[in-house]
Amino acid sequence: MCGMCGLLGGGNHWSNSGVPVDGASVRRRRHLQVSLANRILTAFRLRLDDFQGQSFILRSPTGAVELVADFTEIWKVAEKMLGRSLDPLVLFENETDQ
Amino acid sequence: MSTAYDVIPITLVTGFLGSGKSTLLADLLQGDAARDTAVLVNEFGEVGLDHLLIGAIDAQTILLDNGCLCCAVRGELREALATLYSRRSRGEVPAFSRVVLETSGLATPAPIVATLLGDPIIRSHFVIAGTLTVVDAANFEWQQRDHPEWLAQVSAADRLLVGKADLIDQVRTDRLFAILTELNPTASIVVKQTSTDTNVLRASLFEPGDIHNMIRNLGKAARNAFPSRSQAPYKHREGLLDSQVTSFCMTFDTRIDWEVFTLWFTMLLNRHGNSILRVKGLLWLKGSERPAILHAIRHIVYPVLHPENVDADLSGDKISQLVFIAEGLTLDRLVSSYRRFQHQLEDCSR
Repeated sequence: MCGMCGLLGGGNHWSNSGVPVDGASVRRRRHLQVSLANRILTAFRLRLDDFQGQSFILRSPTGAVELVADFTEIWKVAEKMLGRSLDPLVLFENETDQ
Repeated sequence: MSTAYDVIPITLVTGFLGSGKSTLLADLLQGDAARDTAVLVNEFGEVGLDHLLIGAIDAQTILLDNGCLCCAVRGELREALATLYSRRSRGEVPAFSRVVLETSGLATPAPIVATLLGDPIIRSHFVIAGTLTVVDAANFEWQQRDHPEWLAQVSAADRLLVGKADLIDQVRTDRLFAILTELNPTASIVVKQTSTDTNVLRASLFEPGDIHNMIRNLGKAARNAFPSRSQAPYKHREGLLDSQVTSFCMTFDTRIDWEVFTLWFTMLLNRHGNSILRVKGLLWLKGSERPAILHAIRHIVYPVLHPENVDADLSGDKISQLVFIAEGLTLDRLVSSYRRFQHQLEDCSR
């Protein structure tokens, strides 16, 4: 974490190293990633926001808020907030999966 | 942009106890070949012996003797590398251009890779050039059966070096090759025999990961992939039944949407990372004419590379492929899971 600004520095995470030349700015791609993640998380009443292009803020319906560095951590924290696992092998198996 | 400092390649040399790692290094790091190489040796036990065994080599040898590198001395590994780089910068040691890290025979490579990739200082100065796993041809059956470390070491390899092959007959050699090819279809295999050219062995130790070679191996792996154990007629599969480890190749019929893929893959590693020994693959992304090289060991994903100038022969059909070495996961489950993600997310991603 940066001692001056408190940012977690998740910008180096592998998921940020996407398409090198397609005209989309890094910022735009990050917002796209967040909106897609929210398509998953909204079903569980969680919400993700970008924080300074370096980290993310994950919020639960009960008011819990956590600053997380990258997508590796997001799913861990989401599972902790929900008290249940998020398994991609069964997610979306039926549209009513909550 | 160029870096204002050197980034030094590290070759990880692993292999089970007694497989011949130290002997190999002693053979290969003599004379001029070792002049620009620093060697870190990890010992398991109270008294380090391996540094005595390879004491004849000319490289600078540092002994990490506080225990197994996979658990006890990750902090020490970090400190040793940082100190080594610092001393090199100050001119206290010769300006080595590569590092060989010999792990203890009981180390599993994933935590070591995590240390090398996770520490901001270490990853700024060092890059993992590859993992060479030495396989003991004379003892592979019981090592495979009794020690999960053997499996972790073989599956983590970029290159497999089969030692003591002179000691076994052709039937056992064929069986070992079949097992290695199934467990790690993307790794190249070199056999060390008394007649083997030292330069060939040295190349397997030092040559950086060649993208073209890796793509070739991936293509080979895709052709030889074993979609499920039940469809496999090979006798050696019986030896793998207990471990439930299989390798399979996941092929994508459309270009990859990077954002959708990263959500799916990070979630997969979060929940099933302990079951995924290795993932290696080539992804063709929407919006890019350069492939993305993905490389993961358990939960850890290496920095993604986007190589330029990939041979047209190798990239002609531009089909994305991921080779998984996994325990208890099947190709069908992964494919249907990814398709559901595609269906749910891709319609709103553009």
